Amino acid sequence: MKVTDTIRRAGRSLRNAKARTLLTSLAIGVGAFTIILSLAAGAGGRQYAQDIVASNTNVLELYVQPKQDDQSDSSKPKEYSEDPSISYGGGFSLKLLQQSDIDKIEKIDGVEDITPVYNVSAKYVTREGQKKYQASIESFTSTLKQEYVAGNGDTMGANDVVIPEAFREVLGFVDNSAAIGQNVTVAVDGATLGAPDKVVTLKVVGVVGESALASIGGSAGLQLNKDIVKELYQYSQAGTPNENAYTGATVTAISESKVQDIKTAINSQGYEAQTAEDLMGFIFQFINVLQGILIGFGALAVLTSIFGIINTQYISVLERTQQIGLMKALGMRRRDVGRLFKFEAAWIGFLGGALGSGLAFIAGTAANPWIRDTLNLGDDTNLLIFEPWSFVAVIVGLMLVSIGAGILPARKAARLDPIEALRTE
Amino acid sequence: MIEVTQLTKTYGKKHNIFTALDDVSFTIPDGASVAILGKSGSGKSTLMHAMSGLDRPQTGKVVIDGEDILTLKTKAVDKFRATKMSFIFQSFFIQANENCYDNVSLPLEIANVPLKERRKRVTDALESVELGDKIKSKAKNLSGGQKQRLAIARAIVNKPQIIFADEPTGNLDSATGEKVEDILFGYNKKNGVTLIIVTHDPDLARKCDMQINVKDGKIESIRESKTKSIANVTKKGVSTV
Ligand SMILES: Nc1ncnc2c1ncn2[C@@H]1O[C@H](COP(=O)(O)OP(=O)(O)OP(=O)(O)O)[C@@H](O)[C@H]1O
Ligand SMILES: [Mg+2]
Repeated sequence: MKVTDTIRRAGRSLRNAKARTLLTSLAIGVGAFTIILSLAAGAGGRQYAQDIVASNTNVLELYVQPKQDDQSDSSKPKEYSEDPSISYGGGFSLKLLQQSDIDKIEKIDGVEDITPVYNVSAKYVTREGQKKYQASIESFTSTLKQEYVAGNGDTMGANDVVIPEAFREVLGFVDNSAAIGQNVTVAVDGATLGAPDKVVTLKVVGVVGESALASIGGSAGLQLNKDIVKELYQYSQAGTPNENAYTGATVTAISESKVQDIKTAINSQGYEAQTAEDLMGFIFQFINVLQGILIGFGALAVLTSIFGIINTQYISVLERTQQIGLMKALGMRRRDVGRLFKFEAAWIGFLGGALGSGLAFIAGTAANPWIRDTLNLGDDTNLLIFEPWSFVAVIVGLMLVSIGAGILPARKAARLDPIEALRTE
Repeated sequence: MIEVTQLTKTYGKKHNIFTALDDVSFTIPDGASVAILGKSGSGKSTLMHAMSGLDRPQTGKVVIDGEDILTLKTKAVDKFRATKMSFIFQSFFIQANENCYDNVSLPLEIANVPLKERRKRVTDALESVELGDKIKSKAKNLSGGQKQRLAIARAIVNKPQIIFADEPTGNLDSATGEKVEDILFGYNKKNGVTLIIVTHDPDLARKCDMQINVKDGKIESIRESKTKSIANVTKKGVSTV
């Protein structure tokens, strides 16, 4: 018997038992629905995270650190090295980058620029007639997309500063725009005992709103011009062994396509480089785990529906004993009888898959605007993104699962003795 | 020619052994119409199943066209049945939910006949049993006689050499039954197809060229009708329906 004829006959027997077919495939449909929505949520979540990462980190940048020694066994004595490092108690130490390392990395193909991390914090920041506040200091980078609530950093001069909205408040400016053009004073501790504080006066050019990433480790410090940060850092380290040594450095690539190559090159030279994507990897991991759990629920639904299919198909074989007997008497081969029932199962899987993913698509498309409003996502951000491959994969996958479930009943049908099947009651 | 030699079929084991066919031998010439007669439980159906390769008796031979079908592999026997044999049953065994066309098309699909040829053959077969106008009707909506005629259409559509009919008129009233008989014998005469009918009905048996009486699994007697000369029926091959 030709496969096409078998498929047609299989489809027809299902049409003759519409209610049963529909109910059985609905069970699979629940699984398909859940899995399709999970995949859509995962895709949408990753896209959304990508957008956040892109607007809060610079995709051209890599963060470089020295490769740290294995510190898992602190009882083992470690060899002394002349290289600068920060030592903590208990035999732990943090290796630092030196100027020679910086120079080496700068020569790597595709590197546009390298800036050491000037790890310095302000002793305090203040303004005439205001209290003094602790603050962290960061280098201003123009490539970072920030949400300015007043002014901006476009014309960042040597003595300019961008402050977070929170500091605008405590420093006594009545509103955001009132801060623009005003001076604030920043003081940094000297490196050695008795060295005087270094005090600089800076002009506020921009106020930034709360970063979307502030809650997951984004910055909330004062952003100063790179040169003055360097100056302050050097002042705070002058005369110590760690002068001209850095905990890390930020490398900027000339193009996004180079980022991965640069990472490989830096790593092969004995450093550890992380791309913006690496740094944000945990967000994706989180989304993937969540998606995995959702898909797990879908898989559970599919698993349950397998028993439904087995049951339905067994009943179908019993009901159609005479038909099977007749077909075998007419010379239909065992293999073809088995196939007929496997194809029936496949049809059920197809129907369930198509039904479930169709409903998921409709429901998801309808829910997207509502989710956008509720979660305050951007104007054209969809949290559920349906990718065509997921429909194909889910439907084909469910058809295979259904065929698997149909194997036992199909075998029963194929092995039926035609004489017994045709015995009149 | 169908040669049955020393066919023995038993059911059960040891103390419970039951011999349904006991050393049965006979020969049926091509194109003959044969009635297998006997009381209920005498082994008529068992004999028919053995002759068609549906059943595998313990000993004996069934030689059709020089080939012992009992020694063939399942696949080969299936092919044999798909291309050279057909069945008609007392309770029709048509697919109630399918239309007449699909019912009749089944043997052709099983025998891998191409779609185009199928269409013509199905229509011809239905027309020859006067169901040409019911081609799209659901089988369950047919009357008893129409159902059996549909079964006959299904049996002749693959142009078989042998048609087995197990009590083909058993479920029909005499008038309807007669019409079915006429169609069967007409086809048998016109196309030289061997017709083997299992029956209780002596009137039907009398219309056949040959009567095989079965009793308790043994051949009681074989009678050949004087009016017809079986020897004259030559192997014509199977012409169109
Ligand atoms: N699977 C089986 N197991 C045991 N005995 C069987 C089996 N099949 C048939 N028989 C027995 O074999 C004998 C012949 O059965 P068969 O069906 O050939 O009778 P029959 O002549 O066709 O009768 P009827 O006219 O009632 O159809 C019966 O006694 C029956 O009980
Ligand atoms: Mg019988």
